[in-house]
Amino acid sequence: MKFIVSSTYLLKHLQVLGGVINNSNTLPILDNFLFDLKQNELTVSASDLETTMSSVLKVDSENEGTIAVPARLLLETLKTFPEQPLTFVVEDNNTVEISSNHGKYALAYADGAEFPKAVELANPSSTVIMGDILATAISKTIFAAGNDDLRPVMSGVFFQFSSENLTFVATDAHKLVKYQRSDVSASQVAEFIMPKKPLNLLKGILAGSESEVTIEYNDSNAKFSFEDTELICRLIDGKYPNYEAVIPKENPNKLTISRNQFLSSVRRVSIFSNKTTHQIRLKIAGAELNISAEDIDYSNKAEERLTCSYQGDDMQIGFNSRFLTEMLNSLGADDVSLEMSLPNRAGILTPVDGLDEGENITMLVMPVMLNS
Amino acid sequence: MEIFHILAILFRIVMNKTILHLDLDTFFVSVERLLNTELRNKPLLVGGITDRGVVAACSYETRGYGIHSGMPMKMAKELCPEAKVIKGNAGTYSKHSDVVTEIIKESVPVFEKSSIDEFYADLSGMDRFFGSYKYATELRQRIIRETGLPISFGLSVNKVVSKVATDEAKPNNQLKIDFGLEKPFLAPLSIKKIPMVGDKTYQTLRNLGIRKVRTIQEMPVDIMQRVLGANGTVIWRRANGMDSTPVVPFCDRKSISTERTFDRDTIDVLKLKGILMAMTENLAYQLRRGNKLTACITVKIRYSDFNTYSKQMRIPYTSADHILLPKILELFRTLYSKRMLVRLIGIRFSHLVSGNYQINLFEDTEEALNLYQAMDHVRDRFGDRCVFRASAMGAKTIGRMHNPFNGQPPIVLAHRKQ
Repeated sequence: MKFIVSSTYLLKHLQVLGGVINNSNTLPILDNFLFDLKQNELTVSASDLETTMSSVLKVDSENEGTIAVPARLLLETLKTFPEQPLTFVVEDNNTVEISSNHGKYALAYADGAEFPKAVELANPSSTVIMGDILATAISKTIFAAGNDDLRPVMSGVFFQFSSENLTFVATDAHKLVKYQRSDVSASQVAEFIMPKKPLNLLKGILAGSESEVTIEYNDSNAKFSFEDTELICRLIDGKYPNYEAVIPKENPNKLTISRNQFLSSVRRVSIFSNKTTHQIRLKIAGAELNISAEDIDYSNKAEERLTCSYQGDDMQIGFNSRFLTEMLNSLGADDVSLEMSLPNRAGILTPVDGLDEGENITMLVMPVMLNS
Repeated sequence: MEIFHILAILFRIVMNKTILHLDLDTFFVSVERLLNTELRNKPLLVGGITDRGVVAACSYETRGYGIHSGMPMKMAKELCPEAKVIKGNAGTYSKHSDVVTEIIKESVPVFEKSSIDEFYADLSGMDRFFGSYKYATELRQRIIRETGLPISFGLSVNKVVSKVATDEAKPNNQLKIDFGLEKPFLAPLSIKKIPMVGDKTYQTLRNLGIRKVRTIQEMPVDIMQRVLGANGTVIWRRANGMDSTPVVPFCDRKSISTERTFDRDTIDVLKLKGILMAMTENLAYQLRRGNKLTACITVKIRYSDFNTYSKQMRIPYTSADHILLPKILELFRTLYSKRMLVRLIGIRFSHLVSGNYQINLFEDTEEALNLYQAMDHVRDRFGDRCVFRASAMGAKTIGRMHNPFNGQPPIVLAHRKQ
């Protein structure tokens, strides 16, 4: 088995695939890339059992065969090469020899048959979405997903497809983001929960991409295919919490404010908040928003006043400033509105401007119970 | 010669501290006598009145009978049947202690309230303006005059020596240990007088043939360390009158806890659970009142054979009853494995931080939150035992009146101080 491939072209693909490989694997074979050669097509795969990603590369060859090559060693070597053709020759003594303009390198390889096979999706449904839209949907929601192993459903992003729109939801029970696209739709109604890791990979690959992504899914797996790459992953099993029910419908107190101003004030004030709870207090009266924080243990204290437009009763509400900064950061709008009802009910953060046609985003943040 | 003398005095002023230790004599007894003058000059015991109770304070009249605080009340009553026994009321004692605290607070630059009846004050540098000893004497007279409570003090260069000096001065007296005389002052005393030497350490040292502090002073420090570990070094330093712990004006609570010893050992799991629930509810309310959250909860059980077990659990920061209660009961379930009589149970919340409860989108309902807030509001106004869960009703006397986060040390009975 022998093939010739451009070094930078190979590196570009391997670096993307390398994101799938865990730092420490229980199965040693997972530390490898699977090279599957069929004449001029080389399919490279990487897997962590949950997620398998593969890319098809054009190479110069007349052979066939599969081998598993140590990922880290190969990546480190490739990084150092300037653009040049590399010749891979599989020797009989279980080594693969790479020849460059500079010299020769031999790597031990494992049998390709040992590499776990990617799952085949049985009778999948499918939908097509623009790569960039998917990447945006992921980056707007994924930060709100939880890390709690005890509640696995909340550690992923909920995909909800219907014939009218696509909805993406993430929550950790303290904050929630719902991102909706009414300009894209699916042929059938479908719901599934995607784990974070493959989404982060997709987000990285697809940001700014003009290509179309085909999403195929059934009850247990989902497959994302675009250009010459495929990603198959296992879905999170379980029932997603009924998030619609917890979004308060009536919110008489509405605050509108410049996002940048609000964000930088919250950031500054939160430096003075307790280092564990990051708690800040918003006091709204008339057209004035007062943001304050206090760390009693170190006698740190901060208070800022902002002008805002506000309709509703005077109120005081406490938030974890981390949640607010994360949310304000992920929005692109110039102005945002924060709708509230009572100090112990969710605040709803929405952008006032800066949305694309058909784009809709709602963020929920739960307050902390302040002593009155 | 003259210059050296002046330099020595200057050195003493600059380098040495002047630490005052004040201790209210038989505090609980004194307060009871203040409230009821008939009790004066009569043998009096304050403490648990049940068979399981212990003596929290005893008047000097009873000491001749061999009674000391910490002794089982039953034994004390046998030793001195004519003594009057009073249950005592922590709230009243707190109030009287606060009056004393106020006087000290306005008289000294830095003070530490180390327990309900003990104070340290740092008078360093005041020699330049007042005589520290004279000043302390006047302070003591003022406390006695204004509160009617007898108080003793010791004055020296550090906390340990001052405390020992107060002990020696008692009752209702004062003692000053001049700079450089710490070692000779301590030398003839029993090793039991050193704070930190409890029954166990005392026995260990007695077995080595050590009786007086002088012996420890003459010993090399590494022998003490070999016998008692790191504590040995500390005890050796204390025996030599060396101590550099500062006077800490504020006491930050690292944890809050409550426990209960039963009059009669019990195996009634329902009753135990009821008590645990009452305790959890009460401590959780204390957390919320102090704007605190806990991240570590502990349940403790002592069986009738005095074997004590405890189990703790890390949890996400919270102060909510409905999260803490199931976790406490779960800990209890795994901990209470023996089918044996229980003598004591208790709970503790630690890893405290300032903050309020983060509301959960899916698990908290508005009704429940409003109910909690309303209950807390009622407790703030009418006391923490006025509203509670029905399942916790069996445990009548769980609860405390004071706020644990006021910067003051917990009220510890006299015999538990170490």
